[in-house]
Amino acid sequence: MMSLKVQNNQLFHIDEISFHNKNTFHENVFEALSKDFRMIGLFPIDAKIPHRIIALLADLHTSFIHIVGGEFPKEQLEFESFANDYPHTNYFECELAENNGFAILDHPWLRPVRKQNVINGDEKYNFYKLEGDEVHEVAVGPIHAGIIEPGHFRFQCHGELVYHLEINLGYQHRGVEKEMLNAKPAQRIILSESIAGDTVIGHTYAHCSAIESLANISTSLRAQVIRSIAEEIERVAMHLSGLGGVANDIGLAIVSASYGRLRTLMINSLAALCGSRSGRGLFVYGGVRYDFNEETIKKIIANLEVVKKDVTEINNFLFSSTGALTRFDGTGKVKKDVAKQVGMVGIAARACGIEIDARINTPYGAYRYFPVSLITLPTGDVFARARLRALEIDESLHFIFEQIKNLPEGKLCEHTLSGKVESVITEPNSGVISIVEGWRGEVIHASFTDANGKIVQYKIKDPSFNNWYGLSLALREIAISDFPLCNKSFDLSYAGHDL
Amino acid sequence: MIEAIKLRILQGDPIIHDVRNVSLPQLFRGLPVIAEKECPAGCSSCINACPTNAIKLNPVSIDLGLCVFCPLCEEVCPEKIIHFSNDYHLASDSREKLNVTQKTKTITPEKASAKIISYFGKSLKLRQISTGGCSGCELELNALSNVNFDLGRYGIDFVASPRHADGIVITGPMTQNMSRATEICYEAIPNPKIIILFGACSISGGIFQSSSQTERKFLKENKIDLFIPGCPPHPLTFINGLLDWLDRK
Repeated sequence: MMSLKVQNNQLFHIDEISFHNKNTFHENVFEALSKDFRMIGLFPIDAKIPHRIIALLADLHTSFIHIVGGEFPKEQLEFESFANDYPHTNYFECELAENNGFAILDHPWLRPVRKQNVINGDEKYNFYKLEGDEVHEVAVGPIHAGIIEPGHFRFQCHGELVYHLEINLGYQHRGVEKEMLNAKPAQRIILSESIAGDTVIGHTYAHCSAIESLANISTSLRAQVIRSIAEEIERVAMHLSGLGGVANDIGLAIVSASYGRLRTLMINSLAALCGSRSGRGLFVYGGVRYDFNEETIKKIIANLEVVKKDVTEINNFLFSSTGALTRFDGTGKVKKDVAKQVGMVGIAARACGIEIDARINTPYGAYRYFPVSLITLPTGDVFARARLRALEIDESLHFIFEQIKNLPEGKLCEHTLSGKVESVITEPNSGVISIVEGWRGEVIHASFTDANGKIVQYKIKDPSFNNWYGLSLALREIAISDFPLCNKSFDLSYAGHDL
Repeated sequence: MIEAIKLRILQGDPIIHDVRNVSLPQLFRGLPVIAEKECPAGCSSCINACPTNAIKLNPVSIDLGLCVFCPLCEEVCPEKIIHFSNDYHLASDSREKLNVTQKTKTITPEKASAKIISYFGKSLKLRQISTGGCSGCELELNALSNVNFDLGRYGIDFVASPRHADGIVITGPMTQNMSRATEICYEAIPNPKIIILFGACSISGGIFQSSSQTERKFLKENKIDLFIPGCPPHPLTFINGLLDWLDRK
């Protein structure tokens, strides 16, 4: 197989990638996929040159990412779809078709990713539709009940049973990737903080790691540990929020309210560190902006101790309640092989028994020295997705307690004062792939520069990009009334998908 | 049952009783205070650093409608002229009032008209629309209903249907793909109705002000009743803004 092998956050030169013709490109990508590698990206290496593309293929077992390049004739942007043999590639192909005008031959189901009326020219996209005497269709959204982001859901039902759910997104499309290319360095960090407001730390961490690699900036161990502590605080906070949501959807108000109270303690801990409840302003290129002092450590430990003690009681109540378990058990089940085929990641995948966690598969920052445990559950239902989050809270709290009490010495920011970010100079003709395990799953930022060191391609993949289709499959042949519960158990981001 | 009561006891008394005078952490970035000092000749560090073009010089002013409350301007100013205080009272009924100068000591919205207060003063039901909001604002709006902030105690609630609502709260920079849905939703709300903009994105486009994927016609054509600045705004900024505007204690 002819590919460039790189690791997480490893700087590479564009010349190291060989760009094959259409057939060799296809053969190489196909070979990688047949070795059980997972596609994590498919896009042009320069946003302005659509006919030179790369496929990123991750090998879970060796931590390597294989890069296969392809150069196509300008007037013939097309290749045979991989999706008939490897379904998880289908959405990446849809994205390439939509963004760069590629024709994907023999694609099983070309559908819009973020922009309507692009793939089919000006023709309206037709939703998948069941037909029959007693079949009916339920359309929901983009505006839903409650304070939630917009998306459109089409259920094909027979009675109360859902046969298929099609999820149509793009309402949140703000053009983040394009904005990244034009942005000043100071704006790029703010943009990353606004990719998915529930994964501020995850996305900003991936962004800073990518730029630090491109600009040869190192970070101190202390800064790496502070970043990881913030990441774990975010994970605990969002897991609490998700469990609260699941409890709310089955009508367990006291449990939902209890998780809500603990979440406040977690995000207030972030605010004690950096002034923002969502962790904005913490990251700078080269490290972090704020340090722990005795007072904040004391405050955060006090908060964490309450969370640790109370969450055990709340979890015990929730997971021993017959009412809750009846709703959770077997609902919205995705089998492990199906989850693997469609390329699910993060908590949704681990709840199906797939061993995937970027902190372990492609370790970065402090996780290289202070590993966390991989947690999986086998059943793939709402129960597994909820229970997994409860278990991950314990693991993350353990990590934070360990690290916050033994902070290593070191400068906060090795390279530059945060205010002088304009001096960050990125290497010419280079590229980097940065993977972070956000609370929801793998967050990938890939960045590439031209001969002047200007960033000419910036690609972002939120875990939601992989997992929305998993939610569709979870809904098959269950009652439509279970949709809110399933949706909350996946807890996916619209903004992170739509960019 | 007993277990549920135990959980209730465990909750203790988490509610913020006095939402008017909470002391937020020192690091919280709220109302910027601009010192009455001269800028060094030719210095434009803060303007160059600001990611959202929120700052103007001679004299120094910060537009909180654009500001994302990052600490960059405070960090780069050689004379320490700009400092973010932890004052969370930032809501305003007018876009102009969000422009903070040396003279700004506090921001309070004018009271709403007698008609609005008589309609909504004791009960206000809102419908939220996310128009490209990253979920940062949405999380803070959701937090308003938790046990700490408990917005419902003031008769203010978020409802599911626009038909049940008295107004909308908009988050996000108004993407092209959401602009039509927003109009339809607004039309579905019975008169009289109000519009509240929550967060820098909805007020000005914020970090997405130059994006080609937004369509802000709706926001320009309709009267905005209340602006809640922040990225995301603190829940207390929203509560206090509404209480002031509705002339509540």
